[in-house]
Amino acid sequence: MDEWKPNPAIKPHKKRSWYLAWKYKLMNQRALRKLCQTGAVLFLLVTVIVNIKLILDTRRAAYEEEEESAQDYDDEMLNVEVPRHPVSNKKVLDVEVYSSRSKVYVAVDGTTVLEDEAREQGRGIHVIVLNQATGHVMAKRVFDTYSPHEDEAMVLFLNMVARGRILIFTIKDEGSFHLKDTAKNVLKSLGSQVAPFLSWRDMWTFVGKKGGEVYGEKHAKSPALSTWGDPVLLKTEVHLTSVEDAECRWPDTELNRRRKRFCSKVEGYGSVCSCKDPTPIEFNPDPLKDNKVFDVPVAVIAGNRPNYLYRMLRSLLSAQGVNPQMITVFIDGYYEEPMDVVELFGLSGIQHTPISIKNARVSQHYKASLTATFNLFPDAKFAVVLEEDLDISVDFFSFLSQSIHLLEEDESLYCVSAWNDQGYEHTAEDPSLLYRVETMPGLGWVLRKGLYKDELEPKWPTPEKLWDWDMWMRMPEQRKGRECIIPDISRSYHFGIVGLNMNGYFHEAYFKKHKFNTVPNVQLKNVESLRKDAYEAEIHRLLGEAEVLDHSKNPCEDSFVPDTEGRVYVMFIRMEQEADFTTWTQLAKCLHIWDLDVRGNHKGLWRLFRKKNHFLVVGVPASPYSSKKPSSVTPIYIEPPAKEEGAVAVPAVAAAEQT
Amino acid sequence: MQKINKNVVLALLSLTSLVFLLFQLYYYKFYLSQKNGAVFSKVRGSQSGQDSTRWHVVRKFLGLISSHNIPVYLIDPLILGLVDKDIEQIRSSPDGPSPECKYFCAPRDFTTFALLDKTWKHEVGLFRTAEKMGFQWLKIINKDPRLDGMDDLSGVEIPLHYIFKLASHAIHLVVFYERSGNYLWHGPLRLKQHMDRKFVPFRKLHFGRYPGAYEKPELLLVSIDDLKVQIPKNPSSFLEEMLHSRFLECRYREARAFFQLYPDDASLDAVEFRKKAKSLLHLAALTLNNLGVKFWLSSGTCLGWYRQCNVIPHSKDVDLGVFIKDYKADIIPAFQKAGLPLKHKFGKVEDSLELSFQGEDDVKLDIFFFYEEDDHIWNGGTQAKSGKKFKYLFPKFTLCWTEFVELKVHVPCETRQYVEANYGPDWKVPVKTWDWKSSPSNVQYNGVWPVNEWDDVIQIY
Repeated sequence: MDEWKPNPAIKPHKKRSWYLAWKYKLMNQRALRKLCQTGAVLFLLVTVIVNIKLILDTRRAAYEEEEESAQDYDDEMLNVEVPRHPVSNKKVLDVEVYSSRSKVYVAVDGTTVLEDEAREQGRGIHVIVLNQATGHVMAKRVFDTYSPHEDEAMVLFLNMVARGRILIFTIKDEGSFHLKDTAKNVLKSLGSQVAPFLSWRDMWTFVGKKGGEVYGEKHAKSPALSTWGDPVLLKTEVHLTSVEDAECRWPDTELNRRRKRFCSKVEGYGSVCSCKDPTPIEFNPDPLKDNKVFDVPVAVIAGNRPNYLYRMLRSLLSAQGVNPQMITVFIDGYYEEPMDVVELFGLSGIQHTPISIKNARVSQHYKASLTATFNLFPDAKFAVVLEEDLDISVDFFSFLSQSIHLLEEDESLYCVSAWNDQGYEHTAEDPSLLYRVETMPGLGWVLRKGLYKDELEPKWPTPEKLWDWDMWMRMPEQRKGRECIIPDISRSYHFGIVGLNMNGYFHEAYFKKHKFNTVPNVQLKNVESLRKDAYEAEIHRLLGEAEVLDHSKNPCEDSFVPDTEGRVYVMFIRMEQEADFTTWTQLAKCLHIWDLDVRGNHKGLWRLFRKKNHFLVVGVPASPYSSKKPSSVTPIYIEPPAKEEGAVAVPAVAAAEQT
Repeated sequence: MQKINKNVVLALLSLTSLVFLLFQLYYYKFYLSQKNGAVFSKVRGSQSGQDSTRWHVVRKFLGLISSHNIPVYLIDPLILGLVDKDIEQIRSSPDGPSPECKYFCAPRDFTTFALLDKTWKHEVGLFRTAEKMGFQWLKIINKDPRLDGMDDLSGVEIPLHYIFKLASHAIHLVVFYERSGNYLWHGPLRLKQHMDRKFVPFRKLHFGRYPGAYEKPELLLVSIDDLKVQIPKNPSSFLEEMLHSRFLECRYREARAFFQLYPDDASLDAVEFRKKAKSLLHLAALTLNNLGVKFWLSSGTCLGWYRQCNVIPHSKDVDLGVFIKDYKADIIPAFQKAGLPLKHKFGKVEDSLELSFQGEDDVKLDIFFFYEEDDHIWNGGTQAKSGKKFKYLFPKFTLCWTEFVELKVHVPCETRQYVEANYGPDWKVPVKTWDWKSSPSNVQYNGVWPVNEWDDVIQIY
């Protein structure tokens, strides 16, 4: 474009015409140029506008499409922001542990993970297990080592904790009285220098890594027998390791993924989390041939006893003919650890907001669980009801499969139960034998849907009624004279020692010696003879062949029953009317079977075994079988022991009514 | 120099704007292709390639699920529609090779399959295999409605839909659950916040806008387009069912709130009445369903469902509605055969028909017949002693399925309007005294039956 520029060297007045022409041309070109320029600007403007419009259009289209496509499908609760835990890269944890007579607490990085200042409870050694990589609390236990045997439980627990975990100990009140040397040595091996010398009412805190370094220990000696050591507060730092170091290297399978999730969260389950050769979490027991209960839902009623639940589910999943898909665990409360256990086994769990208190809470939990079970499995005619503190026999489902048709066909039946209240080691013998009883034993039983939906559910005790659900179910208004089928040898075992109505003494006296079937594939005999009328014929046959025992002897003595095997014996006790159980209760007491209320009876008849002989007890004259009594025999009467002074009035009245 | 700059600038600007314009066009095209693969591919003229892509994706999917032993069946309305046209031929030659790809190549964005929840263990292995095969997948989970009616139970969320995407085609797998009342239920498809809204064009899905209720289908294994697949035995009736499958969940939360205000009657009488009403309703449903007469919960029974998810214990009868076009003369003998004698019959088919049957122990079953007008629907009432006629007006409504006392039944989808028309805005407050002639807020006086017709229109037994 240079040539278009006016040349200063050119003399305009000389070649005038050329100049004019040139000027004109120039002007013309200028106009052209202007035109070009304007055109370009216009073009520019247009493209800009078009562009902007395009952008807006596509944006809007995209936006609308997005809106449209999702509008109907948006979840209503969209605005709930998922809380994100900041990933802390912190490598050091501040740990504070306090031990004193009336209060203990543990704080990790300022968060209190244990605080116990309740009176009259929480005595002993509190133990907390932290994950060495994340600092999360994996287990919290208290061992009342003031009392006997608790130190053994602590040793057991500490042995189960994986190497590398961080252990925190603190004593509340007293923790040394029954802390034996074995336990002290275990604590010593963890690095404690004080433990071997812990004595009466000392205060003690300790933080260490299992199989590794010690992070701190503090101790305050009790100056005198009647006083406690001064409170101690231990402040220390714990160095975290990397996540990789804290985890085992199991092969990457679906099962191990579940295992990993479980083992990184909780502690105290032993070999399930061991890096080498962990115990299996899938069992694949033999399937049952012609399994009639394969499609029957199984409801496991649980509370916050995750270790129990773990043991229970292991035995349940090992039982032949189990169908894991039909199992639902109902947890009373929003407890995490039981849910972790349920997930470890790949089962489905449902949590239930606790309603009411004590017995009523349990009873409401049962109702919700049963209703939910029949909702979840609308096709089911039955449900198996289990509790978290039961071991399940290997032939549990085989037992049910052989007997469940009776519950469907015989209207006079209330349930099939795996538990024989009177089936102790010394009173149960025959795994293939079944009974009909008027009491509802529970502890692993089958409920008919019709019974629940039409009768029980609509009038189930309301939350304000502090009734036991099982007691309520045993009431005549509910049971209406119907009976349950039970095995001679129980197919469940009640191992729970802690519970609402349970303690160690009670368990030892009434549950520990209960017989539990361990034989697989037991073929039940004469199942058809359990029907209402057939059973009467069977009883009459039995009584017909039974030998009458010598009624002059003491029935509590072992010699009462001859030293034979496989015979049938009968004895007659005094039972004035249907509700007169005076002699029975005394007999039950001396035979060391269930005597707290009347269980296992059928029309005034009890069936059990003594010295491997079938042993029948008939209440005369209340029982319809009294006619079998030879006229020469006088029914045995056992006097109840004299009431102690100041005995509670209610039992006295009840006893008076019975006699 | 200025002038040069001006020109250069101008040229540069023009160039930029041109580039910008091209970019915009490209963007637009790209956007289109992403949004609507079919359209774009049509532009490119690869129609046949697309067709076989669909078939290949379906084939791959069927291979995937059969390798995991998962029984699915085809419920895609488009394909079932095509299949239905040739159903006789397909039934008669289940293994015949097909000359052309007639069904699975039909243009569409999705192929829909159904999965019965209880036939599958929800193993994770499936998804891993799917990923290896090149599928992208999306799982939509939500609350378990079977536990919704229960106080304070929190179950795990259950999978309701799966979408498997491969290339430009996607498989929509709808999970069906069995529910109390012997029917199958599928959930609505709702995206959670973090989900990819553009994973597939969700709007075009055939299932998921609403939850649905279906009968358990009989299945048939057929071979179409050389693929073995299960389909409902009667595709046309399935397609018909699909049109009216919308399901309404009972309003459990509101029902709980109601019971907090007005505690439930737990007396023995109430328990007994509920039991009787339930069995009467079950019997009535069985009888009407056998006749093929469509009915819905009406009046007090409908209110009970809507307000408290249960039978109202003081209502003393069970009320059903039936469109007069569905009336059949067999209704009365069928009920009599079922053990429910006719108690009274008011009106006639042309006007204000109403039937009452006597259930056990004074529990009465009322069937009201509804007459459709242009802008409203009404049913009639008759006072026996005076021959007076009444008319109850309702806004127009459609029917939805719901579950009530372990039964799959119809209710008006627009339940609130229906209940409000009948009981007024205070329907939430329980009323023990109710006069059917004056209490309803939608009642109109409708004259008197001519005396000579009384023998016909007022029959009391």
